[in-house]
Amino acid sequence: MNRLFWLSGFVTFVLMTVLPGIFQRSAIAQGDALAFPIDEAPFQKMLKEIRPKADEDTFDTIPWQISLWNARILAAKEGKPILLWEMDGHPLGCG
Amino acid sequence: MGRVSAFADPEIIKLASEKFIPVTVDDWYQRRRQDAEGRFFIKVANQGPRKGQGGSTRQGIYCLTADGELLAFKNAGNSAEVTREQLNLALAKFKKLPDSRRLPGAVAIESFGKPDANYVRTPPANGLILRVHGRILDKKDGEVCKADCDFPGGDRASRDFLWLTANESKALIPKPELGYSYSLPTAVTKRIARFCLIDNTRGEPEFWKGTDVRKADFSLKVTSVTPEKIEVSLMGKALLADEEDLAVAKRGYDCSLMGRLTYDTAKAKFTRFDAVAVGDHWGATTYTQKGVRPGRTLYGVAFGLPLIERPGDRVSPQAAREWNEYLRPN
Repeated sequence: MNRLFWLSGFVTFVLMTVLPGIFQRSAIAQGDALAFPIDEAPFQKMLKEIRPKADEDTFDTIPWQISLWNARILAAKEGKPILLWEMDGHPLGCG
Repeated sequence: MGRVSAFADPEIIKLASEKFIPVTVDDWYQRRRQDAEGRFFIKVANQGPRKGQGGSTRQGIYCLTADGELLAFKNAGNSAEVTREQLNLALAKFKKLPDSRRLPGAVAIESFGKPDANYVRTPPANGLILRVHGRILDKKDGEVCKADCDFPGGDRASRDFLWLTANESKALIPKPELGYSYSLPTAVTKRIARFCLIDNTRGEPEFWKGTDVRKADFSLKVTSVTPEKIEVSLMGKALLADEEDLAVAKRGYDCSLMGRLTYDTAKAKFTRFDAVAVGDHWGATTYTQKGVRPGRTLYGVAFGLPLIERPGDRVSPQAAREWNEYLRPN
């Protein structure tokens, strides 16, 4: 019983202190090397990596209106039906 | 999450662009607004299966006529096959309508009246609109690159907007004085920290609370002055965490920010506003748990001016649903 008590205490100690320490160290290493400011070329590269690639947001090539009322006016003028994409969270600006 | 929807299908893009007037809206506003547009939408939606019982969502893909007849409805935005079928069905129905309801100029649209100010958002007059994209990142051979994600589309760039009021934009205008330093307005700093420095790549996360902002300090400095333009650098750091003790914080973002701005003195406007925030992100919120990467991983946010003038760049920021808090974040 006494040995079990000490063993479980040791395991708890390892889980709560040593492992998070290892985890923290490996995590901090990721962002640490990103010391700003950086030159124009790597800055541009970083912007390019984050922003959508040319083939990534093809749905955005559709000439979306963002007002149903304006779409009505255009549809009446051009003699076309309306295609309404209604989503909880705007499809063009929500994640 | 339009980036992985049926609207990425080339045939649907062509159909939507050429045969329809395409429009997209946030249902959160649309189903609530009490004005001509809101009433028109409810009239159309009530012809379909989504009656919005108890104020519930009416999201889906609707095909309709300018005078308000629902031609087709499906809530299958992820299926290109179903959407294509729906669009073709709607076009067939539309062609059968009498000339008086479908020829160009045949339908008269009544006047709009007063918009519902509670549920209509328009960019602040003389303000500034910035596009905001977030992406999960990794490092390869010491270089930052896009990362992989198990969640469909989670490796792609998210999209949102940042709006600045006229006064806030004015406060960004630099003095033509080399080395001149100044800070971002407090409301802008908090708005960026709470509503832009978030991981929204796998859906809608909860925004940071005011108390989650452990540090947010962004400053500007004039780096070059010519008669035509003033170059400005933007630097700063932010630390967002849901607990003060980072060792126990379930969600956080520890990042550095860098930006390059150009103010055109003749045009009296910013012609460049490029900025990136990069750092370690960890954790997720209720609806973004799927596909979250374990531990602290690189996450980046890029800011920039809209590329061209188009309606889609006037979409309101996601956080602007709570308008007063958006303008004056605590």
